[in-house]
Formats: sequence, structure tokens, C-alpha cells
Amino acid sequence: MLKLDQLTRRFKDTVAVSDVTLDFPDGQMVGVIGRSGAGKSTLLRLLNRLLDPSEGQILFGDNDIARLKGRELRAWRSDCAMIFQQFNLVGRLDVLTNVMTGRLFEMPGWRAMAQVFTAEERALAIQALDRLGMAHTALQRAETLSGGQQQRVAIARALAQRPRILLADEPIASLDPLNAKIVMDSLRSINREDGITVVCNLHTLDTARDYCDRIIGMQAGRVVFDGTPAQLTAGMAREIYGAEAEEAFNESATSTSLASDPDAAAAPVRASA
Amino acid sequence: MSDTSTNAVHIFERHRAEMRASKRAMNILALVIFLICLALSMWISNFTPERLANGVPRIFEYFQTILPGLQWDVLFEGRNEAGRATPGSLTYWYTDFWTYMSLIWETILMAITASLLGAFGAFVLSFPAAHNFAPARWLHWVSRRFLEICRGIPEILLALILVFMIGIGPLAGVMAIAIHTVGALGKLFAEVNENASSRPVEGIAATGGTWVQQMLYGVVPQVTPNFTSYALLRFEINVRASSIIGFVGAGGIGQELNRVISFYSDDRVLAVLILVVLTVTVIDLISERLRLGFIGRENFA
Ligand SMILES: Nc1ncnc2c1ncn2[C@@H]1O[C@H](COP(=O)(O)OP(=O)(O)OP(=O)(O)O)[C@@H](O)[C@H]1O
Ligand SMILES: [Mg+2]
Repeated sequence: MLKLDQLTRRFKDTVAVSDVTLDFPDGQMVGVIGRSGAGKSTLLRLLNRLLDPSEGQILFGDNDIARLKGRELRAWRSDCAMIFQQFNLVGRLDVLTNVMTGRLFEMPGWRAMAQVFTAEERALAIQALDRLGMAHTALQRAETLSGGQQQRVAIARALAQRPRILLADEPIASLDPLNAKIVMDSLRSINREDGITVVCNLHTLDTARDYCDRIIGMQAGRVVFDGTPAQLTAGMAREIYGAEAEEAFNESATSTSLASDPDAAAAPVRASA
Repeated sequence: MSDTSTNAVHIFERHRAEMRASKRAMNILALVIFLICLALSMWISNFTPERLANGVPRIFEYFQTILPGLQWDVLFEGRNEAGRATPGSLTYWYTDFWTYMSLIWETILMAITASLLGAFGAFVLSFPAAHNFAPARWLHWVSRRFLEICRGIPEILLALILVFMIGIGPLAGVMAIAIHTVGALGKLFAEVNENASSRPVEGIAATGGTWVQQMLYGVVPQVTPNFTSYALLRFEINVRASSIIGFVGAGGIGQELNRVISFYSDDRVLAVLILVVLTVTVIDLISERLRLGFIGRENFA
């Protein structure tokens, strides 16, 4: 169980995350929604400490994550994998090495420096890639892949970390609908099959409704909604998105119709399945 | 068109006019400063057209004293039974050819060693010296200042000090050039790093990688082509530097050049000069090929 207690993060005079208190039980799939600038990315970055909180606590068991330093902090990041909107792969390294960087924390220092990987590490990486249907690209440079493929490699890297929590910051915002569906389906299967907690920032409402057990709505750094998709009424959603409501609802029609409306665009999905 | 949008255009245009005006003022200021500096330096160095006109003939005079007295009929004559070369032959002119060659070889080795050492130092320092990747402000500051000092001191001065400290010979030259290379390349490498994308670095950080791992896996693959290219360019410069640095006793062909200039000032000066120019040119050509080949491979990989 991951607990946030009055978590706050300021940047000069903007309060990006303001007094957030939340529990994340193990194995949940959580969607975080909110308009641009609501503080979604900041919240996720606080969770794996790519950003330091200004105030408040992050508790995992009895550990105060907000105070970790050095090796313990890196151990936490390795436990709490993250995937990004722009994939954040190393373009000029091959796919396999990219995935194996998920093992860096566990590797002895000299092997990491010399870039020497063991057969087990390679095997683990290939298995992770295979799970996402990307094993055939293992020896290709990551930058030669399409966006959707790169995101799948990024998920494989996250899997190679054998994390307990998977954070995803708008993982489908730069993808076309078909790839978006593939990526969201993989996140769901990782959540269901491995019992990994998934916290996912999503720009579009319908994706969150379709994939998540629980939706958290943010507005100006505060949590203004926390409940099941069913509890999120249209009026509530309109309030969370404010001026961006039309956009969020319209975009959702393209990015999730594949999942929510089987007839509309079923052909390509079945062909690839 | 709504009021607000025409207003936005209006504000933008005013802003743009202000920027252009201030830019023009800056340009004029820069020109004035440049002219003042030029006038000052001409005044200090006593540079006048007459002096230049007087100097030019003397250059030709000097050239005459270092020209070899080659004679066509004996040009390719070898050594006679007594082992003496005929005056006027190439063999006579280049009596010490193999000494020169071994010194040129020494010069190239000096340049290679200094470039490798310097590039290594520059590589290590370029990460803390890049403001976007520096792990701590003080380390950034220290490495920047260190690089500035390294490239601020002229090689020849460094060589003088080092010759004094560790004695005459190529070691002093190698160290002097290496130190200067650390400074010069380190700055360039740091700038390359500053242009590298931080996304892969963030990706490695998020897996739990250390700072060194973030640099090694996230930055190095991005910057290797540029680093290599700059290092080869520096090697060309270092070949030139190491053929000069011998003037202060720091090894290489420069030491011989200095000797023949100060003791004989005859055709041996030209003999050595020709070899130096040839070496530098050949190295430049090879290194340019390498660089182009490397960049080409990068683009088509
Ligand atoms: N590094 C930073 N420096 C200064 N301000 C920042 C920084 N990162 C975020 N902010 C500010 O914090 C607020 C929240 O930003 P955040 O990126 O978390 O929003 P978001 O909900 O992820 O938005 P989006 O949907 O556009 O990604 C914004 O006002 C943003 O300008
Ligand atoms: Mg964001």
C-alpha cells in the first residue's frame, strides 16, 4: 500500500501539487485525469522521486519515500518503474540494451560501467520484449522504431525492473488509436496478471473509464474527485476539465472508440490480434 | 478579426520593433568596440604600412639564405665510396633525413598521446561541466573553471614551465599539449552534452541508475559521433602544436627546427620546414577522411 499524506510541491509561486492525501492499495489500476497544468505529471514524478516534495509524506509500508537518499532512493525507483509520454529510450542503443538498462540497479557497478550483461539478463529482457510482441526488434536501434513500438519497448524496460508499481505519464498521448489500444491493453494485462499497481495519467476521459478501477480527478494541484468510473458523472467530469471539456471528450472519441465500441473500428484490431 | 487578436498583433509588432532596435544598437556598439581595439592594437604593436613594406624584402632575403644550392646534373647523385654526398645533390641537402624522420615520428606520437590523454580528461570533465547534467552546482563551477585554466594558458608557456620542472624532452611537450587539450576539448564536449536530449537520461534515472550510469547510458550514445569528430579535429591541431613546441625544448621536430635555425640558418631550415608542412598536410587529409567517413557512417547506419 502506497500512502500520500498532505503531499505538496511548489515551483516558485505555482503550487503544482497541493496537499494531496491518497491511498493506493496494491494491485489497483488508477487513472489520473485533469486539464493541462493540473499537476498530474508532477504527482507521478513525486511518486518515484524524480521530483522532491516540498512538504508532506509518501509512505510505502513503513518507509518514508520522501526522505530516501542515495542507494535507497535508487532502489525505490527500481521498484517503481515509470513510462513516459515521449518513451525516453536511448535512441542510439539497440532495443535489447535499452530493456536491459531496467536491470542497472541490480547489477554490480563494474558490469554496469563496462556494459557487460549476463545471459540471464538478456533472457529476462527478451522475455519482457516478447510479452509485448517486440522480441523481433531486439537488435535494432531504438530510434528506428515507430512511436507505438518504442512505447512497447519502454514498457518492456519497465517490466525488466520487476517493479511493484508502474507509473505511466500520458503513455498514449503521442500515439495513434490502434497503438494506444495496444499500449493500454498491455498495461492492463500487467496489472491483472502480475498484480502490479498501475498509476496512469490520461488526458482523455473515456480511456480512463475503460481501463481503470479507480479515477482520480485533479484540478489546480488538488484532488477533486476520487472514485470508480461509475461514480464519475458527466457533470463532475465537466468540472474537472473546465474549459478543456470539449477537447477531452472529443479526443476520447478517437482514442478509445476501439476499446469501447467494438464495431466502429474492429477490423484492424482483430487483424492484429 | 476580433479586437483581442488585432491587439495581440499590435503588441507583438511593438515588441519586435523594440528588439530590433536594441539589436541594432548592440551591433553598432560591437563595431565601435572592435574598431577601438583594432586601433589600439595597431598603435601598441607599431604596425604601420611602412614597417610592413620594409619587412617584406627582408623575408625574401631570409628565404634566399635557406634555399638549397641544388644542381641539376648531380641532383640524384648518391654517396661516393668515401660515404660523402656531393654538394648540390638531394642527398647532400637531406643528409640528416632519417634523423628528421624519426623526430617527425616522435612528433606524431606526441600528438597522439597528448590527444588521447587530453580527450580522456575532457570526456570525464565534460559531464559535470555541462550545466544540464552537473550533479552539483559547486562541481559544475569547479570543472568549468578548471577547463578555463587549462585552455587559458598557452601550450608553449605550459611547455616552458614543464621543461623547467621535468626536464627537456617529449614528456614535457606531451603534458603541455594534453593539458591544453583537456581545456579546449572539454569546453566543446560540454557544449555537445548541453545539446543532448535529457529524455533518455530521465529514462535511465527512472530505472534507478546512478548519475554515472545516466551519463554512460543516456548521454554517451548520443554524443559519441560529435566527440569523435572534435577529438580528430583536435588531433590535427595537436600535430601542429607538437611540431612547434620543441622550440622550448619539449621534444619533437620543433627542437631540431630550432637548432638548425639558431645554429646554421642555412638550407637545413627549409629541409625541415618542408617535412613539417608535408606531415601536417598529410595528417590533415587522413583525419579529414576519417571524420567524413565517420559522419557518413553515422548518417547511413
Ligand atoms: N519544472 C517545473 N518548473 C516550473 N514549473 C513547473 C515545472 N513542472 C511543472 N510546473 C508547473 O506545475 C504545474 C503542473 O504541471 P504538470 O506538468 O504537473 O501538469 P500536467 O497536469 O501534467 O499537465 P499536462 O496535461 O499538460 O501534462 C503547471 O502550472 C506547470 O507550469
Ligand atoms: Mg503532464
